[in-house]
Amino acid sequence: MDGKKIKNIALDGLLRNNPTFRLVLGTCPTLALTTAAMNGIGMGLAVTFILICSNVIISMLRKVIPSAVRIPAFVLIIATFVTMVRMLLDKFVPSLYESMGVYLPLIVVNCIILGRAESFASKNPVGYSALDGLFTGLGFTFALTFMGIFREVLGSGSLFGAHLWDFKIEFFTSSAGAFFVYGVFIAAFNGIYTKIDSKIRALHYDKMMALTGEEL
Amino acid sequence: MQKIIVSDTPHVRSKLTTKRIMLDVIIAIVPALVAGIVFFGGRAAFNVAIAVVSCCLTEWIWLLIKKVPVKDIFKKFDFTSIVTGLLLALSLPPLDYKYFYIPLLSGIFAVGVVKMLFGGTGKNVVNPAVTGRVFAFISFLGAMTSGWIQPAFGSISGEVVTGATVLTDMLAGVRPTLSNLDLFLGTGVTGCIGETSKVAILIGYIYLVVRRVIKWQWPVIVVGVTGLVGVLLNGCDFTLFLPYILSGGLIYGAVFMATDYVTSPANNLARYIYYVLMGVIIALLRKGTGIETVSFAILLMNLIVPLLSLHVRPRPFGSVPFGVLVKEKFAKLGKKGGKAE
Repeated sequence: MDGKKIKNIALDGLLRNNPTFRLVLGTCPTLALTTAAMNGIGMGLAVTFILICSNVIISMLRKVIPSAVRIPAFVLIIATFVTMVRMLLDKFVPSLYESMGVYLPLIVVNCIILGRAESFASKNPVGYSALDGLFTGLGFTFALTFMGIFREVLGSGSLFGAHLWDFKIEFFTSSAGAFFVYGVFIAAFNGIYTKIDSKIRALHYDKMMALTGEEL
Repeated sequence: MQKIIVSDTPHVRSKLTTKRIMLDVIIAIVPALVAGIVFFGGRAAFNVAIAVVSCCLTEWIWLLIKKVPVKDIFKKFDFTSIVTGLLLALSLPPLDYKYFYIPLLSGIFAVGVVKMLFGGTGKNVVNPAVTGRVFAFISFLGAMTSGWIQPAFGSISGEVVTGATVLTDMLAGVRPTLSNLDLFLGTGVTGCIGETSKVAILIGYIYLVVRRVIKWQWPVIVVGVTGLVGVLLNGCDFTLFLPYILSGGLIYGAVFMATDYVTSPANNLARYIYYVLMGVIIALLRKGTGIETVSFAILLMNLIVPLLSLHVRPRPFGSVPFGVLVKEKFAKLGKKGGKAE
């Protein structure tokens, strides 16, 4: 496996193509489930697990699945893993299962998983696909957890279920607050990202200038 | 040789600036403010002070962060934040001193999020004061609905409001115990700081109309339509018409918040459609929820304004009105029919 490609996959999943903040995919669970940090982590990890498994299977079968029926085939594979995760959660973490409600089966039609299957797993070998699933899923988890922490601290005065103080601004746990927080987070993430990106670009430009000794 | 100076339009400037209009609005609010402070005492004054200070500070701090020179900030300050703060505080209940954070946070939300994030004065999509109130209402429901206190003057008819407010009683199906005169003067009426005394609001309304800041029809349409639809929804009992429009924040919202220039359509027809729809929505929501819904209705209608402005266009100068066009068409059809026979 090529180290540079792995680094690219990791950076893509976590930052450059962060599914929540850069691609704005999977917004439904993002808005509905980030009322508490624990829900965010639970949802993120469930999606990560399903993403890795489905990416691996789809990547294995990428030469077998005819391209005309690839979407139903992908959905079938994803649905298999979603059902497994649902059963496991229902058995071992019933409280999380309750709080995720309808959004757990809805992972089947989550754009992130379908998107990665379509744009990455169906074109790349198994190893890379598994890594891509891992890092995209972690990017999603980290986004959901941060939003969850922000909304839980301000909206319910607690953190990961532990009570902090009595002061609550219930706006942040309402759905209007979800859209507001999401917008603010996208703006902040992209603002910071663009700043760092342009700095790195400038740095590379200077290096190239020093190497070649001429203006690009 | 005489020099000729060539300059761009406008050649004639009037003295009507944003600052001037906002000053007029502030003067129009003063009676309601005074009435609120007389009725509810220190609590009202405290709330208003906090809201105004937080609104103005939010704007200044935002501009400082945006690295606008301090000299410019004060030169270009156009009083809109003061108006927002006043309107916001007057639409809150006379909250206890321990809830100082409610006007504070709503002020920050109203100016910081609703106005400055969208680019400052004149660029906000929804009315900052209304949104600030809705923010407070959603966020601190308990404090916002239990903060009612009896005003300094008891009612002339000697009755007392039994429930939380007159309006919640009435929407629950209880006939209001207070007389219409009490509701009009605000004596014995529990409610938000600014909405209690209708007399004070009407003085402000007359001032705004005389100064030509608003047209007299605008609030009248909202209040009238709300009253009519409300009466129809509540079993066609026309004795309820006056209590229905005099209770709650309807007149206050119609005079000060629904007439906001920035968030209402610019052309006349669209504006009248806007006010009629607003009245209908207020009455429907009041019926549906059993609480005061003026702020929510105004917020909803503010969001529809771009659609109204897009689809209800004024007739370009010199074009044939639609009615005339239809008439001509029919006249032609008639002639053709006549010839064929």
